[in-house]
Amino acid sequence: MKRRDFLKILGVGSVGTGLGYFFGKASKPPAAELIPYLNPPVDVIPGVANWYPSLCTQCSAGCGIHVRVMEGRAKKIEGNPLHPINKGKLCARGQASLQALYNPDRIKRPLKRKGDRGKGGFEEISWEEGLSILSKNLVALSEKGEADKLYLLTSQIRGSLHNLLDSFMASCGSPNYLQYELFQNRNLLHASQVTMGVNAIPHYDIANTKYLLSFGADFSSTWISPVSYSYAYGQMRQFDDGIRGKLVQIEPRMSLTGANADEWVPAKPGTEGVLALAIAYAIIEDGYYQGSDAASWNALLSGYSPKDAAAVTEVAEGRIREIAKEFAQTRPSLAIGGENMARYENGMSGLVAVNILNHLAGNIGVRGGVIPNSGGSRTIDYKNNITALAAAASASKVKTLLVYNTNPVFTTPKAMKTEESLRNIPFIASFSSFMDETTAMADLILPAHTSLEDWGDDFADPSVGRPVATIMQPAVSPFFNTMGLGDIILSLAKGVGGKVKDKMKWNGFSDYLKDAWKENYSKDKDMLSSALTFDEFWNQLLTRGGWWPAEQVKVKTVAVTPKSIEAHISKISSRFEGDEKGFPLYFTTYPHSSYLDGRGANLPWLQEMPDPMTSVVWGSWIEVNPMTASSLGIKEGDTVTVESPFGKIAAHVYLYPGIRPDTVNEQGGLIVGWIS
Amino acid sequence: MKKFILYIIIGAVTFMMGYTINGLYSPDISPVQPIPFSHKIHAGINKIPCMYCHITAEKSRHAGVPNVKRCMGCHSIIRTDSPLIQNLTSYWEKKEPIPWVKVYNLPDHVYFPHKRHVKAGVPCQRCHGDVANMDRITRAVVPFGIPYLRVSPLKMGWCLDCHKNEAQKYIGTPVKNGTDCWTCHK
Repeated sequence: MKRRDFLKILGVGSVGTGLGYFFGKASKPPAAELIPYLNPPVDVIPGVANWYPSLCTQCSAGCGIHVRVMEGRAKKIEGNPLHPINKGKLCARGQASLQALYNPDRIKRPLKRKGDRGKGGFEEISWEEGLSILSKNLVALSEKGEADKLYLLTSQIRGSLHNLLDSFMASCGSPNYLQYELFQNRNLLHASQVTMGVNAIPHYDIANTKYLLSFGADFSSTWISPVSYSYAYGQMRQFDDGIRGKLVQIEPRMSLTGANADEWVPAKPGTEGVLALAIAYAIIEDGYYQGSDAASWNALLSGYSPKDAAAVTEVAEGRIREIAKEFAQTRPSLAIGGENMARYENGMSGLVAVNILNHLAGNIGVRGGVIPNSGGSRTIDYKNNITALAAAASASKVKTLLVYNTNPVFTTPKAMKTEESLRNIPFIASFSSFMDETTAMADLILPAHTSLEDWGDDFADPSVGRPVATIMQPAVSPFFNTMGLGDIILSLAKGVGGKVKDKMKWNGFSDYLKDAWKENYSKDKDMLSSALTFDEFWNQLLTRGGWWPAEQVKVKTVAVTPKSIEAHISKISSRFEGDEKGFPLYFTTYPHSSYLDGRGANLPWLQEMPDPMTSVVWGSWIEVNPMTASSLGIKEGDTVTVESPFGKIAAHVYLYPGIRPDTVNEQGGLIVGWIS
Repeated sequence: MKKFILYIIIGAVTFMMGYTINGLYSPDISPVQPIPFSHKIHAGINKIPCMYCHITAEKSRHAGVPNVKRCMGCHSIIRTDSPLIQNLTSYWEKKEPIPWVKVYNLPDHVYFPHKRHVKAGVPCQRCHGDVANMDRITRAVVPFGIPYLRVSPLKMGWCLDCHKNEAQKYIGTPVKNGTDCWTCHK
């Protein structure tokens, strides 16, 4: 062998070996560290998940959840199978609440305003400083005798946190604790008060009904308790007793529920109440109502004959009579009224009209009909609402406003000028976990925990014919430097001192919660009869996720009479702003299944989930009927401006055949292109 | 031309040699640990059972590296004069966990539960070798100096071989669904 060849072979050999060695090294998984616990928590086994029962707070339905936690990190949320509301199921919004916990946009520590209000300038402060700023402010208010100028505005909170806030505000000397959310179901509660005499939203027994007449209630995506009703709807269609329940959906824009219905009746927007009364008229005229007061009902409804109503609602007379016949003769049947009709100015009258239908068909208190819930003392304080707050703020009658988990600047109409009125308030403190339009105006932000980090409880409203209490317990340790609202309030009470401190001497909200449940336990004979000591009961509460009696609780109702209801249906026709010529189209909005009132809009999972009817992702759009679009010369994807007497919005067009040609529609909850 | 083919063959052979050398003798088969913990002293001489420290091996998919409190459970009393133990104590006093280096590291696409294997009666030594005689844990044990008999190459064929054949020794049958993709890749 030549010297040259020997060197070449040697060279090839060593390069090959080296390449082989480094290839082997590169193809191995990278070196990893094994970091043990220093001192492990008792209930943690690395690699084994713990499931903590808790409460979903993504809407006000009050579903029970199980949070899967591995080594202290929440990984997945599922429904609690024992829970009577959602029976182990959970909707997309509930699943996505995990992203609220880990959201990088969360407010991570207390903030103080820097620079002009609303400009978004904030500096980080410590909790001690934040709490002392707020408690000094409260002390100053009460020293000046202006305690009644303190306002607290929260989302719909029920249960112990609500009681704590109530007694805090009372001991501060302010009557101004109000709750506001875009979808608060106050009209529905009012309707059940005036037609049944019950202070709670009833349980609509969709599961066992055979004929469901829905006036714009999109119960499979957003209406009051969507998981519960979607499950029930599945049961309704199961051919129990050989009959498959029929669903008739009355709404101008086909919702997900409308798409599932046997019949979709696109009545003219705002005339659903008239349609309900016309159906009631037909029930009585055609002799389906057996009561002795048929004559006086007839007199009350005289103005709503199907013939007249057909002209108003654009639903044919024959169809109204057919619906009346089916509704009255199918046993059991059920009529429900949703946000689609409740949001017009005649919303209350419309929902009352729906309940009249249930009364005439004999659906109140029967299986498969309207089952009243035991509501207790919940009454609606109509004077204390967001409009009253805005008016008081404009009149400089609000000195300090505390806001929690609600965003009126975004959810109230621009024409209401909420933002301008809030500017008159000298001091606003927000407890929001996220920067939103209202929180951006705050002078002080004390960020509260998200629901996965906090204690709490909830009494579902509507529940399912029996009371349902759900416990919220921290599934994970606080992710950022935040504090539970209950704890913030108790620390504030300590800072304010005096009478307030004496009334609230709990060390933390978890103690308060436990005491509250001790009281429930000592009062309630059902809980006592379970023959457990309180500690056993409390442990069972935490492991099951809540408390609910096994049996249905009977609630007495007061039957509605033509005389008692006359005043409530007087405003049954609704007006629309703008004259017909200048504004020829109706504009409607609906709560979107992902974003609801806007709270889901910051969660990527919900943004990337296609809308169930249009499959649009990441954005908002205007739905226009193809016929209308062609007459206006609009193509799909065009940017159009929708204008009302109050303002303009701009968005892309989606051609949607499931909408009346005289209506355009835009989903709520997303930030749209406000022009003016 | 002939020479060119020869170079390619030599290159390929040496490439495989290099690859094998890396697999058998690269330092990651026996990494240096932050504390020179000796399994020989603990499991060998003092005969402490494996599951006294690796407590989650039969409860979880992770065998569980012992938490620092467990080390201190003995070493707040035993051999406190040794500088190595004082090193351990300093971690405990600083409230810092010990950053052990992982020796048996499976890629993320493999699901390997310790629990099922321990419960089936596979002895720890089957995969981890004669730990009781190792001062520092070494992954590739070479019995009798024959490299191809090394104990755990952590390769798929090695897993499947046991699922199909050797499993009979422990559970009487081959592993049920033991060769399905989804059994390990899930």
